[in-house]
Formats: sequence, C-alpha cells, structure tokens
Amino acid sequence: MLIGAVILVIVLVLVFWFIGVYNSLIRLKKRVQNAWAQIDVQLKRRHDLIPNLVNAVKGYMKFERETLEKVMEARAKAISAQGVGDKIQAERELGGFLGRLLAVVENYPELKANENVKQLMEELTTTENKISYARQFYNDTATRFNTKIEVFPDNIVAGMYSSKFEAFPLFEIEDKAEKEVPQVDLNI
Amino acid sequence: MAFSVDFYAEERKNIRKTALLVTLFYIMMAAFGLIIDFAFGMLPIFTAVFLSVATIQFLVSIYSGKKMVLRSLKARPYNPKNFEEKQLKNILDELTISAGLSKPPELYVIDNDEVINAFATGFKREDAVVCVTTGLLKTLDREETSGVIGHELSHIVNRDILIMTMISALIGAVVIIQIFAARTLINYLRFGGFARGRRKSKKDNTGMAILVFLATVAGLATLFSFLGKLSLFAVSRTREYFADARAVELTRNPAGLASALRKIALISKKLPTANTATAHLFIADPLKRKVNEKSSAFASLFSTHPPIYKRIATLENRQPEEVRKELQL
Repeated sequence: MLIGAVILVIVLVLVFWFIGVYNSLIRLKKRVQNAWAQIDVQLKRRHDLIPNLVNAVKGYMKFERETLEKVMEARAKAISAQGVGDKIQAERELGGFLGRLLAVVENYPELKANENVKQLMEELTTTENKISYARQFYNDTATRFNTKIEVFPDNIVAGMYSSKFEAFPLFEIEDKAEKEVPQVDLNI
Repeated sequence: MAFSVDFYAEERKNIRKTALLVTLFYIMMAAFGLIIDFAFGMLPIFTAVFLSVATIQFLVSIYSGKKMVLRSLKARPYNPKNFEEKQLKNILDELTISAGLSKPPELYVIDNDEVINAFATGFKREDAVVCVTTGLLKTLDREETSGVIGHELSHIVNRDILIMTMISALIGAVVIIQIFAARTLINYLRFGGFARGRRKSKKDNTGMAILVFLATVAGLATLFSFLGKLSLFAVSRTREYFADARAVELTRNPAGLASALRKIALISKKLPTANTATAHLFIADPLKRKVNEKSSAFASLFSTHPPIYKRIATLENRQPEEVRKELQL
C-alpha cells in the first residue's frame, strides 16, 4: 500500500516535470520563431523605404549616381532572393550599400537640412536599428533555446522529440571590418 | 559582454515578491482587524473595513494609478508630427523589439526644457507608459536617448513597475486607515467621545479603552506606512542598478546611458510637478535631493536612487571616486 503510494507520487512528479519541460521548450521555440518573423517584417520595411530615399536625394547628388544605382540594384536583388542563404547574402550586400549612401549624405549639408530627407534618413536609421535589434533578440532567444535543449535533464525531453526541437542557427557578424579581431601573436 | 544576471529569473522573482507582499499585507490587515474585533466584540466590522480599504486601494491603483501619475506630472501624449518626438517613438519601437515585448508602451512627454528625466509606470506590461521631458529630447542625442529608453523599458520588462505600483497601493491603504484613526481620535478627544452620557453610566473604562485603541491604530498605521516607504525606497534603489544593466544588454552600448546620466547630473534642473509620491519612478531623482547623492548608511536608508556617480562608474567600469571628482558633486 505504502510502496504503491510512493510509486504513484514519483510517477506523478515525473509526469508533471515532463509536461513542464515540454511546454517550456515549446514556448521558447515559438518565441524564437516570432523573433525570426520580426526580422522579416523589418527587412520588408527597408525595401519599401529605399526608393523614396533615392528619389529624394537624386537631384542633389549628381556625382553619386553610381552609389544610388548600386543601392537600387542591391534592393532588386534582395527582393527577388529565394531561400534563406541567398536572402542573407543579398541583404548583407544591400546593408553595405545603404551604409555607404547614408555616409555620403553626411557630406551634403543642404541635403541633410532638407526636411523630407531628414525624415527619410530617420526612418531608415530606425529601420536599420530595428533590423539589428531584431537579430540581437533572435540570437538571444535562439541561444536560450539551444542551451535548454542541451542541458541536463531537459535534454532528455528534447531528445525524445529530436525532430521538433532542433538547434536554431545564429546570425553572425556580417561586416568583415567589424569581424576583424586585433591580431594577437603569442609566438614572440 | 558577459552578464551574470539572469534577467528572466529576475522577472519571475519580482512577480513572486509582489504576490508574497500582497499576501503578507492582507494577513497583516486581517490580523489587525481581528484583534480589534475580538477586543471589542464587534466581529467582523473592523476586519471587513480594513480588508475592503486595502482592496479598494489596490483596484484604484491598478485601474487609474497610471492616469493619476501622468496627470499629476502634467504629461501629454507624444506628437508624431514633431521630428524629435517621432524620433523618440522610433527609438522606443526599436528597443521594444530588442526587449522582445509584443507591443511598445505608450509614449508621453512632459513639456519642460530645463529638466532631463524620464520614467515608466503602469501595472501590466501591455499597458505600460514611458514618459520623458522635452529637455531630454533637446539635450540628448540618439545614442543617449536609447540608453535612457532602454533603462525605462527594463523597468517594464522586469516588472519593476508592478512591484512599485503594489507598494504604493499598500502604503496608500495604510495611510487611509491612519488618517481615519487619527481623525476619530481627535474628534473623540475634542467632543468627549460618541454618546458619552449613555455609556458612562454603564462602563466607565470604555472611553479609555476606545482612546487607547484609536491611538494604537493610528500609531501602528503610521509605523507601517513609514516602514512601507522605507521598503519602497529600498526596492527603487536596487532596481535602478538592474535596469541600468539591462539597458546595456538591450542597447549593447554602456556609453550612451553613461553619457546621458552625466548630462542629467550636470545640466538637469528640478522638476516642479514632481513630488515625493512620484519621485521614485524617475531614472534620476527629479527633486534633486541631496540624500540621493550620499552613500552613508543613514542616507541610503532614505534615498530613492543610488548616487548617480556610482551608476556612471559602474557603466564605465571605473572607480566611483574618480567619477565623483569629475562631476564635482
């Protein structure tokens, strides 16, 4: 009788633990997926803003035609990109050209003072920030999820549903200049 | 950047603390009422009165606490047509994504160009408010504003606003009882008690007992509201460091917030619409009380914010004394 009760309690505890871990894994996974969707939303916004900005600055920047053309080209490529790998590559390129365009605008004082351009620049800046914050949030949540499916004892539950709980890939730093770490030579 | 603080655990801890606080408070009020009821054989009048005062106070602060704070500080909703305020809204939206909140808090502005300050309030995350002064908009650049907004968002995400609202509500309930008891006591002393003639013939010591009882209630309520305020200060103080740390986690940039705090310490003036009931909500003390810049045991008991030079030192990873000298505080 007593042994039966003890076994029953243990089984109940195990069942509740299992349900708890499983549900928290699902919740985390949904959060990661939502974070991923956020990035997409912001990328779309970036695409929508670019033509407006290019039109607004065109007249002022006669000598920068090349930069503007490259931005538009990269935008077209980014929109038509299929598959995650291509998308990431195209967006990376677009981000690079956009950064150059924003830097060029800094050299034109009358352009910067233009109310219309000022607002577009602010919109583009906030979108760029949102993209990077969305990536940051995605990376943070994905890391939490990836850690949870590997730590003991949660990995037991995750392992039982290995097709459902797979580790998510993380965004790496894209800009080569940013990625470069100061070289430390230890073989003196 | 490595953080040893698990912010998700912090948030859960805050919810647990709030629940514990409310339970303890209700038990205390019920015990208080039961003692009185048993002593005077009036069960359940006082128990019921105390518990309903506490409940009403809770409901009022949950449903209109936010509005009351905004009204008392003369805040208005932001204006999307103003470039600076639109930029502020953009920054708030950016950091909302960074914090993973489903919806950005409402944005309010206090028209005062001389003050650089900001606060967050509300009860739930979904209907929280972030409010800044126009002085902050005009003085701080994008990076610095991001630091401040990150700090305020942390208060919302960490559920600091929940625990703050709760403590304020609890103090409010105690104050109501305190006022009620003190007023009855004064009236009793002045007019010689209720229905004196009739009672006197039956029991001589009833008057004395009521007097002692009212004095006890008033005294205890005063003590509790005092202790409550001290705990509010303590909570507010420790939460500021956490919010600073999380603001850095959200923006990945300690320099912005540090530079913003520096400007607040050096340029910001006193906010006339702020008072002791709302001061603890702000990122830095809007009343510019000296007590907040001292770190003695006595001062830290009564201060609502940690000394600003210490916060800057933490963010910049430097010696507090060095920063203090630099700011000449």
